[in-house]
Amino acid sequence: MGELVNDAQSFYNVRTVERPNIEHDLDAIIAKYRPIVSFRVKKSLGSYTPDWEDVVNEIMLNAIEKLESGKFRGESSVGTFIYTITSRRIIDHIRKKSKSLKYAPEPNPFPQPQEHVENKERAEMIARHLEKLKPKYKEILYLYYYKELSRDEVAKKLDISPRRVSERVNYAQKLLKKMMKK
Amino acid sequence: MTECKFEDLIDEYLLNTLSEEKRNQFEEHYFNCPACFQKMAERDDMITAIKWKGHEIFSDLMKEEQTRKVAVWDRLFGFMAPRQWALTAVSAALVLVVTFGVIPALKTQSPQFTLDDHQTRGQSITLISDSIPSRFEWQKMENAWEYKIEIDNHDPLWHKTTNNNFVILPDEIKHKMKTGVAYSWQVKAFSRQGILIAESSKIQFFIPEK
Ligand SMILES: [Zn+2]
Repeated sequence: MGELVNDAQSFYNVRTVERPNIEHDLDAIIAKYRPIVSFRVKKSLGSYTPDWEDVVNEIMLNAIEKLESGKFRGESSVGTFIYTITSRRIIDHIRKKSKSLKYAPEPNPFPQPQEHVENKERAEMIARHLEKLKPKYKEILYLYYYKELSRDEVAKKLDISPRRVSERVNYAQKLLKKMMKK
Repeated sequence: MTECKFEDLIDEYLLNTLSEEKRNQFEEHYFNCPACFQKMAERDDMITAIKWKGHEIFSDLMKEEQTRKVAVWDRLFGFMAPRQWALTAVSAALVLVVTFGVIPALKTQSPQFTLDDHQTRGQSITLISDSIPSRFEWQKMENAWEYKIEIDNHDPLWHKTTNNNFVILPDEIKHKMKTGVAYSWQVKAFSRQGILIAESSKIQFFIPEK
Protein backbone atom coordinates (compact mmCIF):
# COMPACT_ATOMS: atom_id res chain seq x y z
CA MET A 1 0.00 0.00 0.00
CA GLY A 2 2.93 2.31 0.69
CA GLU A 3 4.16 1.37 -2.74
CA LEU A 4 1.07 2.63 -4.40
CA VAL A 5 1.41 6.04 -2.83
CA ASN A 6 5.04 6.25 -3.79
CA ASP A 7 4.28 5.24 -7.34
CA ALA A 8 1.59 7.83 -7.55
CA GLN A 9 3.85 10.48 -6.18
CA SER A 10 6.86 9.74 -8.34
CA PHE A 11 4.54 9.60 -11.31
CA TYR A 12 3.26 12.97 -10.40
CA ASN A 13 6.67 14.49 -9.66
CA VAL A 14 7.97 13.62 -13.09
CA ARG A 15 4.93 15.09 -14.77
CA THR A 16 4.86 18.37 -12.93
CA VAL A 17 8.49 18.96 -13.72
CA GLU A 18 7.61 18.58 -17.36
CA ARG A 19 4.38 20.52 -17.27
CA PRO A 20 4.27 22.77 -14.23
CA ASN A 21 1.11 24.54 -15.30
CA ILE A 22 -1.15 21.74 -16.34
CA GLU A 23 -4.74 22.31 -15.51
CA HIS A 24 -4.95 19.31 -13.24
CA ASP A 25 -2.35 19.91 -10.65
CA LEU A 26 -2.04 16.35 -9.39
CA ASP A 27 -0.61 17.25 -6.03
CA ALA A 28 -3.56 19.47 -5.32
CA ILE A 29 -5.93 16.83 -6.63
CA ILE A 30 -4.51 14.20 -4.28
CA ALA A 31 -4.64 16.57 -1.34
CA LYS A 32 -8.18 17.59 -2.11
CA TYR A 33 -9.78 14.27 -3.02
CA ARG A 34 -8.00 11.73 -0.87
CA PRO A 35 -10.02 12.65 2.24
CA ILE A 36 -13.26 12.60 0.25
CA VAL A 37 -12.50 9.24 -1.33
CA SER A 38 -11.47 7.90 2.09
CA PHE A 39 -14.72 9.05 3.62
CA ARG A 40 -16.78 7.45 0.88
CA VAL A 41 -14.87 4.16 1.04
CA LYS A 42 -15.06 3.95 4.82
CA LYS A 43 -18.76 4.69 4.77
CA SER A 44 -19.42 1.91 2.28
CA LEU A 45 -17.03 -0.74 3.51
CA GLY A 46 -16.94 0.12 7.19
CA SER A 47 -13.77 1.45 8.74
CA TYR A 48 -13.14 -1.93 10.32
CA THR A 49 -12.57 -3.42 6.90
CA PRO A 50 -8.84 -3.85 7.23
CA ASP A 51 -8.05 -3.07 3.60
CA TRP A 52 -10.04 0.12 3.17
CA GLU A 53 -6.85 2.14 2.83
CA ASP A 54 -5.64 -0.08 0.03
CA VAL A 55 -8.90 0.51 -1.78
CA VAL A 56 -8.46 4.27 -1.40
CA ASN A 57 -4.91 4.08 -2.75
CA GLU A 58 -6.01 2.05 -5.74
CA ILE A 59 -8.73 4.56 -6.53
CA MET A 60 -6.36 7.52 -6.29
CA LEU A 61 -3.76 5.79 -8.44
CA ASN A 62 -6.35 4.83 -11.01
CA ALA A 63 -7.68 8.39 -11.13
CA ILE A 64 -4.22 9.86 -11.53
CA GLU A 65 -3.32 7.45 -14.29
CA LYS A 66 -6.45 8.34 -16.18
CA LEU A 67 -5.91 12.06 -15.75
CA GLU A 68 -2.32 11.64 -16.84
CA SER A 69 -2.97 9.55 -19.89
CA GLY A 70 -5.51 12.04 -21.15
CA LYS A 71 -8.45 9.65 -20.78
CA PHE A 72 -10.22 12.34 -18.85
CA ARG A 73 -11.26 15.03 -21.28
CA GLY A 74 -13.16 17.30 -19.02
CA GLU A 75 -16.61 16.04 -20.01
CA SER A 76 -17.44 16.30 -16.31
CA SER A 77 -15.83 17.98 -13.33
CA VAL A 78 -12.78 16.30 -11.80
CA GLY A 79 -14.93 15.69 -8.71
CA THR A 80 -17.53 13.75 -10.66
CA PHE A 81 -14.82 11.88 -12.52
CA ILE A 82 -13.22 10.69 -9.28
CA TYR A 83 -16.65 10.01 -7.79
CA THR A 84 -17.42 7.65 -10.67
CA ILE A 85 -14.14 5.76 -10.30
CA THR A 86 -14.72 5.49 -6.56
CA SER A 87 -18.27 4.17 -6.88
CA ARG A 88 -17.23 1.50 -9.39
CA ARG A 89 -14.32 0.36 -7.31
CA ILE A 90 -16.51 0.06 -4.20
CA ILE A 91 -19.12 -2.02 -6.03
CA ASP A 92 -16.33 -4.32 -7.27
CA HIS A 93 -14.93 -4.67 -3.82
CA ILE A 94 -18.27 -5.53 -2.23
CA ARG A 95 -19.01 -8.07 -4.96
CA LYS A 96 -15.70 -9.81 -4.39
CA LYS A 97 -16.02 -9.64 -0.62
CA SER A 98 -19.54 -10.98 -0.41
CA LYS A 99 -18.33 -14.20 -2.03
CA SER A 100 -15.96 -14.82 0.85
CA LEU A 101 -18.16 -13.21 3.48
CA LYS A 102 -18.65 -16.47 5.35
CA TYR A 103 -15.06 -16.41 6.42
CA ALA A 104 -14.87 -12.75 7.23
CA PRO A 105 -13.82 -11.94 10.80
CA GLU A 106 -16.39 -10.66 13.28
CA PRO A 107 -16.67 -6.93 12.87
CA ASN A 108 -16.80 -4.53 15.76
CA PRO A 109 -20.23 -4.28 17.34
CA PHE A 110 -20.57 -0.54 16.90
CA PRO A 111 -19.30 2.15 14.58
CA GLN A 112 -16.11 2.36 16.55
CA PRO A 113 -14.06 5.39 15.84
CA GLN A 114 -11.36 3.94 13.63
CA GLU A 115 -8.58 1.93 15.17
CA HIS A 116 -6.31 4.97 15.33
CA VAL A 117 -5.80 6.27 18.82
CA GLU A 118 -6.21 9.91 17.89
CA ASN A 119 -9.66 9.22 16.43
CA LYS A 120 -10.74 7.46 19.59
CA GLU A 121 -9.43 10.31 21.68
CA ARG A 122 -11.27 12.73 19.48
CA ALA A 123 -14.56 10.88 19.88
CA GLU A 124 -13.92 10.72 23.60
CA MET A 125 -13.35 14.47 23.73
CA ILE A 126 -16.47 15.20 21.69
CA ALA A 127 -18.47 13.00 24.04
CA ARG A 128 -17.19 14.89 27.09
CA HIS A 129 -18.23 18.18 25.49
CA LEU A 130 -21.65 16.90 24.50
CA GLU A 131 -22.26 15.83 28.07
CA LYS A 132 -21.97 19.46 29.09
CA LEU A 133 -24.62 20.75 26.68
CA LYS A 134 -27.89 22.10 28.01
CA PRO A 135 -30.69 19.51 28.33
CA LYS A 136 -32.52 21.13 25.44
CA TYR A 137 -29.68 20.24 23.04
CA LYS A 138 -28.81 16.92 24.58
CA GLU A 139 -32.35 15.74 24.29
CA ILE A 140 -32.56 16.50 20.61
CA LEU A 141 -29.24 14.81 19.87
CA TYR A 142 -30.39 11.81 21.86
CA LEU A 143 -33.65 11.41 19.98
CA TYR A 144 -32.35 12.24 16.54
CA TYR A 145 -28.96 10.55 16.43
CA TYR A 146 -28.87 8.04 19.22
CA LYS A 147 -32.40 6.70 18.92
CA GLU A 148 -32.62 7.66 15.26
CA LEU A 149 -36.16 8.95 15.37
CA SER A 150 -37.06 10.74 12.15
CA ARG A 151 -37.02 14.52 12.08
CA ASP A 152 -40.82 14.58 12.09
CA GLU A 153 -41.03 12.21 15.01
CA VAL A 154 -38.60 14.34 17.00
CA ALA A 155 -40.58 17.45 16.11
CA LYS A 156 -43.80 15.87 17.32
CA LYS A 157 -42.24 14.64 20.51
CA LEU A 158 -40.77 18.02 21.41
CA ASP A 159 -43.72 19.95 20.04
CA ILE A 160 -41.64 22.09 17.68
CA SER A 161 -41.54 22.32 13.89
CA PRO A 162 -39.34 19.97 11.85
CA ARG A 163 -37.45 23.00 10.59
CA ARG A 164 -36.74 23.93 14.20
CA VAL A 165 -35.35 20.43 14.82
CA SER A 166 -32.69 20.97 12.16
CA GLU A 167 -31.91 24.43 13.44
CA ARG A 168 -31.47 23.19 16.98
CA VAL A 169 -29.25 20.32 15.88
CA ASN A 170 -27.15 22.72 13.81
CA TYR A 171 -26.86 25.02 16.76
CA ALA A 172 -25.73 22.15 18.99
CA GLN A 173 -23.06 21.39 16.41
CA LYS A 174 -21.98 25.03 16.48
CA LEU A 175 -21.72 24.96 20.26
CA LEU A 176 -19.64 21.81 20.03
CA LYS A 177 -17.30 23.42 17.54
CA LYS A 178 -16.84 26.36 19.87
CA MET A 179 -16.05 24.11 22.81
CA MET A 180 -13.57 22.15 20.73
CA LYS A 181 -11.66 25.31 19.87
CA LYS A 182 -11.08 26.21 23.49
CA MET B 1 -21.63 32.15 3.88
CA THR B 2 -24.38 31.04 1.53
CA GLU B 3 -26.09 27.77 2.28
CA CYS B 4 -25.93 24.99 -0.23
CA LYS B 5 -29.27 23.34 -0.95
CA PHE B 6 -27.69 19.92 -0.53
CA GLU B 7 -26.80 20.66 3.08
CA ASP B 8 -30.18 19.39 4.20
CA LEU B 9 -29.28 15.91 3.01
CA ILE B 10 -26.23 15.53 5.25
CA ASP B 11 -28.07 13.99 8.20
CA GLU B 12 -30.17 11.67 6.10
CA TYR B 13 -27.09 10.55 4.23
CA LEU B 14 -25.15 9.81 7.40
CA LEU B 15 -28.12 8.01 8.94
CA ASN B 16 -28.70 6.01 5.75
CA THR B 17 -32.25 7.10 5.18
CA LEU B 18 -31.89 8.51 1.67
CA SER B 19 -33.28 6.70 -1.34
CA GLU B 20 -30.61 5.19 -3.55
CA GLU B 21 -31.09 7.86 -6.17
CA LYS B 22 -30.76 10.73 -3.73
CA ARG B 23 -27.82 9.08 -2.06
CA ASN B 24 -25.97 8.83 -5.35
CA GLN B 25 -26.77 12.44 -6.15
CA PHE B 26 -25.53 13.58 -2.80
CA GLU B 27 -22.37 11.53 -3.06
CA GLU B 28 -21.57 13.03 -6.41
CA HIS B 29 -22.32 16.42 -4.92
CA TYR B 30 -19.91 16.22 -2.03
CA PHE B 31 -17.14 15.18 -4.37
CA ASN B 32 -17.74 18.58 -5.94
CA CYS B 33 -18.68 20.77 -2.99
CA PRO B 34 -15.97 21.28 -0.36
CA ALA B 35 -18.39 23.18 1.92
CA CYS B 36 -20.79 20.23 2.14
CA PHE B 37 -17.96 17.76 2.58
CA GLN B 38 -16.53 19.79 5.44
CA LYS B 39 -19.88 20.08 7.17
CA MET B 40 -20.58 16.41 6.69
CA ALA B 41 -17.22 15.38 8.13
CA GLU B 42 -17.90 17.46 11.24
CA ARG B 43 -21.38 16.03 11.60
CA ASP B 44 -20.02 12.53 11.14
CA ASP B 45 -17.54 13.09 13.96
CA MET B 46 -20.36 14.14 16.23
CA ILE B 47 -22.59 11.21 15.29
CA THR B 48 -19.74 8.73 15.73
CA ALA B 49 -19.13 10.04 19.23
CA ILE B 50 -22.86 9.85 19.98
CA LYS B 51 -23.16 6.27 18.71
CA TRP B 52 -20.06 5.17 20.52
CA LYS B 53 -20.45 7.02 23.80
CA GLY B 54 -24.18 7.70 23.82
CA HIS B 55 -24.82 5.56 26.88
CA GLU B 56 -22.49 7.88 28.79
CA ILE B 57 -23.48 11.18 27.21
CA PHE B 58 -27.19 10.55 27.70
CA SER B 59 -27.13 8.44 30.84
CA ASP B 60 -29.36 10.93 32.69
CA LEU B 61 -31.94 10.97 29.88
CA MET B 62 -31.91 7.21 29.65
CA LYS B 63 -32.48 6.83 33.35
CA GLU B 64 -35.43 9.18 33.18
CA GLU B 65 -36.88 7.22 30.32
CA GLN B 66 -36.51 3.97 32.19
CA THR B 67 -38.42 5.37 35.14
CA ARG B 68 -41.22 6.43 32.84
CA LYS B 69 -41.33 3.02 31.26
CA VAL B 70 -41.59 1.33 34.62
CA ALA B 71 -44.48 3.62 35.49
CA VAL B 72 -46.33 2.60 32.35
CA TRP B 73 -45.64 -1.04 33.09
CA ASP B 74 -47.00 -0.62 36.60
CA ARG B 75 -50.14 1.07 35.31
CA LEU B 76 -50.76 -1.78 32.92
CA PHE B 77 -49.93 -4.66 35.18
CA GLY B 78 -50.09 -3.21 38.64
CA PHE B 79 -53.41 -4.93 39.25
CA MET B 80 -51.64 -8.26 39.37
CA ALA B 81 -49.93 -9.10 42.62
CA PRO B 82 -46.45 -10.63 42.44
CA ARG B 83 -47.86 -13.96 43.53
CA GLN B 84 -50.20 -13.99 40.62
CA TRP B 85 -47.23 -13.44 38.37
CA ALA B 86 -45.59 -16.46 39.88
CA LEU B 87 -48.74 -18.47 39.24
CA THR B 88 -48.85 -17.29 35.68
CA ALA B 89 -45.40 -18.60 35.14
CA VAL B 90 -46.07 -22.21 36.00
CA SER B 91 -44.39 -23.66 32.98
CA ALA B 92 -42.26 -22.50 30.10
CA ALA B 93 -45.00 -23.41 27.66
CA LEU B 94 -47.51 -21.28 29.45
CA VAL B 95 -45.06 -18.42 29.66
CA LEU B 96 -44.65 -18.57 25.92
CA VAL B 97 -48.37 -18.23 25.43
CA VAL B 98 -48.56 -15.39 27.89
CA THR B 99 -45.69 -13.40 26.54
CA PHE B 100 -46.23 -13.89 22.85
CA GLY B 101 -49.97 -13.85 23.07
CA VAL B 102 -50.91 -11.21 25.59
CA ILE B 103 -48.27 -8.53 25.22
CA PRO B 104 -48.76 -7.78 21.51
CA ALA B 105 -52.51 -7.67 22.05
CA LEU B 106 -52.11 -5.17 24.84
CA LYS B 107 -49.85 -3.09 22.69
CA THR B 108 -52.48 -2.60 20.06
CA GLN B 109 -55.13 -1.82 22.64
CA SER B 110 -53.07 0.73 24.42
CA PRO B 111 -51.76 3.51 22.24
CA GLN B 112 -50.01 5.06 25.23
CA PHE B 113 -47.91 1.99 25.48
CA THR B 114 -46.87 1.95 21.83
CA LEU B 115 -46.28 5.65 21.84
CA ASP B 116 -43.95 5.27 24.75
CA ASP B 117 -40.30 5.02 24.05
CA HIS B 118 -40.32 1.89 22.06
CA GLN B 119 -41.37 2.62 18.57
CA THR B 120 -39.82 0.23 16.12
CA ARG B 121 -37.09 1.73 14.01
CA GLY B 122 -36.72 0.79 10.38
CA GLN B 123 -38.17 -2.57 9.52
CA SER B 124 -39.27 -4.85 12.24
CA ILE B 125 -37.49 -8.08 13.13
CA THR B 126 -39.59 -11.10 13.91
CA LEU B 127 -38.49 -12.90 17.03
CA ILE B 128 -38.72 -16.66 16.81
CA SER B 129 -37.07 -18.22 19.86
CA ASP B 130 -37.86 -21.87 20.40
CA SER B 131 -37.27 -22.20 24.10
CA ILE B 132 -36.73 -19.66 26.79
CA PRO B 133 -34.33 -18.75 28.13
CA SER B 134 -31.27 -20.60 26.81
CA ARG B 135 -31.61 -20.02 23.09
CA PHE B 136 -32.91 -16.83 21.50
CA GLU B 137 -33.61 -16.79 17.82
CA TRP B 138 -34.97 -14.24 15.38
CA GLN B 139 -35.64 -13.90 11.70
CA LYS B 140 -32.68 -13.10 9.47
CA MET B 141 -32.67 -9.85 7.54
CA GLU B 142 -31.18 -9.53 4.12
CA ASN B 143 -29.32 -6.26 4.57
CA ALA B 144 -28.19 -6.81 8.14
CA TRP B 145 -24.52 -7.24 8.80
CA GLU B 146 -24.80 -7.97 12.47
CA TYR B 147 -27.33 -8.19 15.27
CA LYS B 148 -27.25 -7.03 18.81
CA ILE B 149 -29.42 -8.81 21.33
CA GLU B 150 -30.11 -7.14 24.64
CA ILE B 151 -31.65 -8.73 27.69
CA ASP B 152 -32.74 -6.60 30.57
CA ASN B 153 -35.03 -6.41 33.53
CA HIS B 154 -35.17 -2.76 34.43
CA ASP B 155 -31.44 -2.51 33.94
CA PRO B 156 -29.44 -4.01 31.13
CA LEU B 157 -28.46 -7.54 32.08
CA TRP B 158 -26.59 -8.87 29.10
CA HIS B 159 -25.97 -8.09 25.44
CA LYS B 160 -24.17 -9.73 22.62
CA THR B 161 -23.35 -8.84 19.06
CA THR B 162 -23.38 -11.59 16.51
CA ASN B 163 -23.58 -12.33 12.78
CA ASN B 164 -25.87 -15.27 13.44
CA ASN B 165 -29.60 -15.05 13.95
CA PHE B 166 -29.51 -16.73 17.34
CA VAL B 167 -27.55 -16.72 20.59
CA ILE B 168 -27.12 -19.16 23.40
CA LEU B 169 -27.38 -17.55 26.80
CA PRO B 170 -24.23 -18.23 28.82
CA ASP B 171 -24.69 -20.14 32.05
CA GLU B 172 -23.28 -17.40 34.26
CA ILE B 173 -26.02 -15.08 33.04
CA LYS B 174 -28.69 -17.71 33.46
CA HIS B 175 -27.60 -18.14 37.05
CA LYS B 176 -28.00 -14.44 37.65
CA MET B 177 -31.64 -14.49 36.56
CA LYS B 178 -34.32 -14.90 39.19
CA THR B 179 -37.64 -16.66 38.97
CA GLY B 180 -40.74 -14.52 38.94
CA VAL B 181 -38.91 -11.46 37.61
CA ALA B 182 -39.95 -9.93 34.31
CA TYR B 183 -37.13 -9.86 31.77
CA SER B 184 -37.28 -8.65 28.24
CA TRP B 185 -35.26 -9.30 25.14
CA GLN B 186 -34.86 -7.29 22.03
CA VAL B 187 -32.82 -7.53 18.86
CA LYS B 188 -31.36 -4.71 16.79
CA ALA B 189 -29.91 -5.12 13.34
CA PHE B 190 -27.02 -3.07 12.08
CA SER B 191 -25.78 -2.38 8.62
CA ARG B 192 -22.18 -2.81 7.55
CA GLN B 193 -21.57 0.78 8.57
CA GLY B 194 -22.86 0.11 12.03
CA ILE B 195 -26.06 2.05 11.51
CA LEU B 196 -29.17 0.74 13.18
CA ILE B 197 -31.50 -0.49 10.45
CA ALA B 198 -34.10 -2.51 12.27
CA GLU B 199 -35.32 -3.28 15.70
CA SER B 200 -37.62 -5.91 17.12
CA SER B 201 -40.25 -5.14 19.66
CA LYS B 202 -39.38 -5.90 23.27
CA ILE B 203 -40.69 -9.23 24.40
CA GLN B 204 -41.20 -9.97 28.06
CA PHE B 205 -40.47 -13.35 29.58
CA PHE B 206 -40.20 -15.04 32.98
CA ILE B 207 -38.12 -17.82 34.37
CA PRO B 208 -40.57 -20.47 35.52
CA GLU B 209 -40.27 -21.71 39.09
CA LYS B 210 -39.20 -25.31 39.40
ZN1 LIG C 1 -22.94 21.63 -1.23
